[in-house]
Amino acid sequence: MSQSVNQRSRKTLACTAEATSFQKSFGKELKRRVVDEKEPYAIVQADTPHELFHAMDIPIITNQWWSAYISAKQLSGRYFNAMVEKGFPANSCKYCSLGLACTLADDPETAPWGGLPKPSVLVARLTCDCIQHVFGMWAKELDSEFYPMEAPAWEHKEVDWFAHSKDAWERVYQPDRIEQMVAEMEDLIALLEERTGRKFDMAKLERLMEKINEQEGYIWEAAKAIGEARPCPVSIADQMPNVMIPQWHRGSDWAVAHAKKFRDEVFDRIEKGLGASNNEKLRLMWIGAGVWHDPGFYQALEEKMGAVFVWSMYMPFAGPAYIRDLKGKPVEALASRVASMNETLHLPPWMNGWMTSEAQRCGIDAAVILLPPDNRLSQSGTNLTAISLEEAGVPVLRIDADMVDADIWDHDRMVGMVEDFLREKGLA
Amino acid sequence: MLAIAGPNLPLDLLAAAGRFAGAVSFDPERDTPRADDWLESKFAPWAFPVLEAWAEDEYDQFEQVLFSRADDTSQRLYYYICELQRRGQIGGPEPLILDIAKIPRAASRDRMITKLRELGEHLGVSADALESAIVETNSQRAAKTPKAGDPICLLTGTAPPDERLHDRVRICGFAPTGATLVEEWLDPGAIVEEATGDPYAALGTQLHDRQRGPRSFADPGAMLAEAISGSGAKAVVLWRIEEDEAQCWHLPAEREMLEIAGIPSLVLTRRDWLARDGARDEIESFLKEVQP
Repeated sequence: MSQSVNQRSRKTLACTAEATSFQKSFGKELKRRVVDEKEPYAIVQADTPHELFHAMDIPIITNQWWSAYISAKQLSGRYFNAMVEKGFPANSCKYCSLGLACTLADDPETAPWGGLPKPSVLVARLTCDCIQHVFGMWAKELDSEFYPMEAPAWEHKEVDWFAHSKDAWERVYQPDRIEQMVAEMEDLIALLEERTGRKFDMAKLERLMEKINEQEGYIWEAAKAIGEARPCPVSIADQMPNVMIPQWHRGSDWAVAHAKKFRDEVFDRIEKGLGASNNEKLRLMWIGAGVWHDPGFYQALEEKMGAVFVWSMYMPFAGPAYIRDLKGKPVEALASRVASMNETLHLPPWMNGWMTSEAQRCGIDAAVILLPPDNRLSQSGTNLTAISLEEAGVPVLRIDADMVDADIWDHDRMVGMVEDFLREKGLA
Repeated sequence: MLAIAGPNLPLDLLAAAGRFAGAVSFDPERDTPRADDWLESKFAPWAFPVLEAWAEDEYDQFEQVLFSRADDTSQRLYYYICELQRRGQIGGPEPLILDIAKIPRAASRDRMITKLRELGEHLGVSADALESAIVETNSQRAAKTPKAGDPICLLTGTAPPDERLHDRVRICGFAPTGATLVEEWLDPGAIVEEATGDPYAALGTQLHDRQRGPRSFADPGAMLAEAISGSGAKAVVLWRIEEDEAQCWHLPAEREMLEIAGIPSLVLTRRDWLARDGARDEIESFLKEVQP
C-alpha cells in the first residue's frame, strides 16, 4: 500500500495554536507529576466520570488521548505488531488497545514517556465485550487494579433526547441507570480516597459542574452559530482541538476561558464573513472518531471541490451531552452525563436521531462515515444512521478505515474516494 | 410464547412463565439481504439470520423475544430491532432486554436482582412459581452426567452454529464436548440455591456470578483448565471466529495453559463461523495424529 500519512492540517484560528500549545505544556506537566514525581494517577476511558478525578486533583491519563498520542508519534504499527508477537490475534480491537499494546511491548526506548508507571487504578465502562478484557490485562501488566463500571441497558428511548437532556435528564437517561452510576461513583470515590489519600469534596464538585456548564455553553453557542453561518467560519481541523483539549480539562479556569475565547473568535469570523475555505460549495459531515494520523485529510478537497468538513461530533456534542441543570444534585447530574455518553453516539435511536437532526440544522450536503473494520463498537449504529441521513436527503459515503491504525490508511486513496463519491452523487 | 436470543438468561424464570419456547430458530446459511443493510460487519454472524427471519415475520408466533446484556451482539441487536420496529420497517414480537450485570460488586448484584424482579413482574411470575421452577430446573441440572465411551475432544472457543465441527470430531473416533450456540443460550448454569425465601435474589445471584460468556470476569486460563479436567478431554480444539471480539483477548492465557497441561491441542483463530475455510479438515488431520 502506498501511504502518505500525517498530512498537516491548516488551522485558521489564533486560539487553535494556543490550545495545542497548552496541551503540549500540559503533557509535560502531566509527565512531571505522573512519571517524575510519581503522584498517584489513574488511567481512564473517555466515557468515565473524569469530573471526580478533577475535583480530587488526581491526574488522569485518558486511554483515547494516550492512543492518539502514540498514534501521532507513528508508533501504532510497531505496538500492534508487538501485540501479535505476544499471541493476540491481529484483528483485535485497535482503538481501545493501543495503550495496552504499548505496555505489553515493554520498550522504554521507544514508548512515549518511557512507558506508563503503575497507576492507582484503571477505570472503564463496559460498553462492549472487549473493554473489560483490555483493561483487566492492562491492570495486571501494570500491577494495578481495574475498576469496571456497568453500562446498563437503556429501555427508555427518546429520539429527540438532545432537546431534553439539559433539563429533563432524570427522565431521558432513566432514573435507575442514574442511580446505578451514582452507586458506582460512590464506591469509586471511596477507593480513590483510600488509594491516593485525597479527599472528595461535594461542594468542589458542584462548582466544577457549574463551570463545565459555562464552558460547554460557550462551545454550544459556537456550534449553533457554525450551523447557521455561510460560509462555515472554521473547519473541523480547528473545531476539534478547541473543543477536545478544553474538554480534557473541563471545568478548569483555563478550559472555561479558552472555550469563551474560541466562541468569540468564531463569532468574529462570522461577523466578518470569513470562511474556513474561500471556496465553500459543499458542506460535509464527518461521522466517527478523528483520523488522528492524517488531520490534513479533512481539508484536502476544499480548494479543488469546495468541499468543507463543517461537522464532526465533538463540537455539537458539547451541548446535549454535557450541559445539565444541576438541581442541587451534582453527582446525579454527572451520572446522567456519563451513563449514556457512548450510547448516544453508537446506538439507535439516539445516534441516528441526533445526527440526522444535526445534518438538518447545519445544512449538510453529504456525510462521510468511518467504519473501522475491527471494532464493533465504533461501527455500531452507522448503517441505521446512514439510512436515516439518506432518507433525510443527505448522501452518505462509508469508508473502511481505522482512526489509529495508520497501516490501513492511504491518504490519497481516501481523498480520492470522497472525491469520486461527491461526483457520483452529482454534488460536484 | 416467549423465546430468547442470547446467553446467560434466567431459564428458571422463563420456565415459570409457562410459555417458554426456547431459543429463536435460524438458518445460519440463509441469505440475509435485509439484515446486511442494517447490521455492520462485526456483529456476530448469528445476528444476520436472526434479524432476517425477524424481518420476514418468521417469529410472529412469539409474543416476546428476550435479549441479554451479557453479550454485545445480543444487546446491540435489541436496540436495532426496537428502532426498526419504531420506523415501521419490521414487525414481530416485543423485544425485551434483561440487564445482566456481572461486575463482581454489590451494586451490580443488586441491580441484577432488581432487573430480574422487574422482568418477572412483566411476565407475571410470582415468587412461589419461580421457586417451583428453580426446584424443577435444578433437578434437570443435576441430571446432566457425562457419557462414557469414546475419548473426549473438547471443542471450545466460539460456539458454532450447529454440530458441523462436532460431526467431524466423531468421524475421527472422538466424542466431542462443547456447546453449540443455541445449547449455550439454553445452558441453565449452576445450581440455584433453593428455599431461601427470596427466589428472585437466589436466581439473580446465580446470573450475576455465572462464569461463562464474553462478559465473564473469570480467569480464562483457569476456565479452560477446568473444562479440560471436568470433561476428561484427551484433545482440545480451540476455535474462534473472525467476529469474536471478546474471547480473542484470552488467547495468550489459553495457549499458556494448554502448554502447561501438555494436552494435544489445535488452535484456530479468525475463522469462518460456517467452517467453509477448511477448519473441519484441519480438525480431522489433527485428531488423526492424536493417540487417545
